[in-house]
Amino acid sequence: MGRTEATARQDGAVPVLSVRRLVKRFGAVTAIDDVTLDVYRGEVLGIVGDNGAGKSTFLSLLSGYHHPDSGEFRYHGAPVRITSPAQSRRELGIEMVYQDLAMSPDLTVWQNLFLGEERRRWRLFLDRRGMRGQAREVLERMRTKIRPDDLASDLSGGERQLVAVARGVLFDRDIILLDEPTAAVSVAKAEDVLSTIRDLHAHGKTVILISHRLEDVLAVCTRIAVFVTGRLEHVVKNDGLTAEDLIHLMFGSRAGRPG
Amino acid sequence: MPLTLRAESASGERAAPAAPWARLRQLTRLVLGREGSVRRPVAFLVLAVIIATIITPDFVRPANLDSLLVNSSFLVVIAVGEAFVIVVGSIDLGVESLLASFGMILAWLTVFHAVPTGLALAATLAGALLVGLFVGFLVAKVHIPSFVVTLGVYWGFRGIALLANGGQYISPSSVSPARPFGFAGIAGSSAGVSNLIIVAFCVVVAGQVVLSLTPFGLWLRSIGSNEQAARRSGLQADMLKMSVFAISAVLAALAGIMFTAWQGSIYPDSATGYSLQAIAAVILGGIPFTGGRGTVVGAALGALLIGVINDLIVLLGLPALYEYIFVAVVLLVAGMQARGGPLVK
Repeated sequence: MGRTEATARQDGAVPVLSVRRLVKRFGAVTAIDDVTLDVYRGEVLGIVGDNGAGKSTFLSLLSGYHHPDSGEFRYHGAPVRITSPAQSRRELGIEMVYQDLAMSPDLTVWQNLFLGEERRRWRLFLDRRGMRGQAREVLERMRTKIRPDDLASDLSGGERQLVAVARGVLFDRDIILLDEPTAAVSVAKAEDVLSTIRDLHAHGKTVILISHRLEDVLAVCTRIAVFVTGRLEHVVKNDGLTAEDLIHLMFGSRAGRPG
Repeated sequence: MPLTLRAESASGERAAPAAPWARLRQLTRLVLGREGSVRRPVAFLVLAVIIATIITPDFVRPANLDSLLVNSSFLVVIAVGEAFVIVVGSIDLGVESLLASFGMILAWLTVFHAVPTGLALAATLAGALLVGLFVGFLVAKVHIPSFVVTLGVYWGFRGIALLANGGQYISPSSVSPARPFGFAGIAGSSAGVSNLIIVAFCVVVAGQVVLSLTPFGLWLRSIGSNEQAARRSGLQADMLKMSVFAISAVLAALAGIMFTAWQGSIYPDSATGYSLQAIAAVILGGIPFTGGRGTVVGAALGALLIGVINDLIVLLGLPALYEYIFVAVVLLVAGMQARGGPLVK
């Protein structure tokens, strides 16, 4: 597989991705309220918070699915606009893995993996052999038993999760956003997903992870951001933290807030 | 190292060269794909041919088979267009009216106004393209259900066909002296095979290649399969939906050109019932109403199956109304398939 390499730590260098004073409203609801956050290369950043804390909205802004009302993004220190999922993916290398894992059930795994970014032969035609082979290689390297020619409709929830992550690996995206990757997965498969996240981390990828399962967050994340009703209340290093600590950060601070 | 990838997998993928028939199977799978089996339409067609032969041995006479293929060629061509529309999960009820009206327009241009053949053909196809794009625009951008928009096309273009010559047919002898169709050669033959059959065959092959071997075809199938996933992958779903109505309209106009050349005239009420027959052919050919999978070849086989039944009805001297009943039965059967009913594996 890959040679091991000292992956970049969060060493105070320029963050790979930053948000400054981000605000997103849906009608009267302020889903993201003045959030400023730096994400460093090679870290696994966990985002926790109660339902409605703005976790998924935050990722949807990074992935270009929604657009902020105000605030700015910086990519390697330079201001950028995030206009669409395709632009976020291709220009900033941000791969979003959605919670509902929407795929085309009638297409095969390799077709889903390459959808919208097909390799071509003679410009007009699909390079089926090349894409199938590349898909097989990535799936094998991720130690899955999924075959490129499997139909997406035949995959389990955990397998879909892995295929969605494989898309990020396949195109060598730098930043992978995961929305509740272990929520719809059996406990055994959840361990596969977590070990995949560890692999991504070992290869220097930046991962941002939302999860309700605090034990999963504590198991793989290097840093944890705590959202409370749209505001970023705490960012803590995962250094001897316990689930109780996180629960205290998530709920204890709310008690101190008016309203 | 970063997770970069070699160009090609070293393992597998290069299967050892096998027996010729295994290679043929490989090729068939490449084009038709596992996800779009044509086994069922082939089986239906073979069964229909066997039954037709038992009922009346005249069926297998070369002259009859030739006329069967020629008579089916128009339906095959519009069924290919319909297949593209249904693959994205829409429907096109207007193809028969487009066939008749663009046939009328072509005849009107060439017979009454002596427009040069090439220019008239180009205008016919370009006009159909514009109509198809506008229909697609109403469906994809204005979000009117395709059923409603194309029902409007169905009535509206039947009206245009009637208006073209005051409800009368047009033939070369509509003017005196007669002005023969410059495009009549489309209904001629090459090396003993009707050009109509050759054109239909080429349309099917081209359609299948586009649907299964190009990114465009893959995008269409992904939209029919899961539009949200397609959009998230960055596909321009609206443009792609517009394009299928353009394809369908252009093929309907092509069928109109073929039909006019073959019949030597065109009537405002030509091709009545072809829309539903094309839809039935597509569903019978294995593309579900919900779209997402299936093959152009299957749709063409479905059209041939309907052609066999029509031919049989003629051979037996039965009234044409049986044709309608047959199409009704096919649609019901197809509906059962789409619902995951008893006919699905």
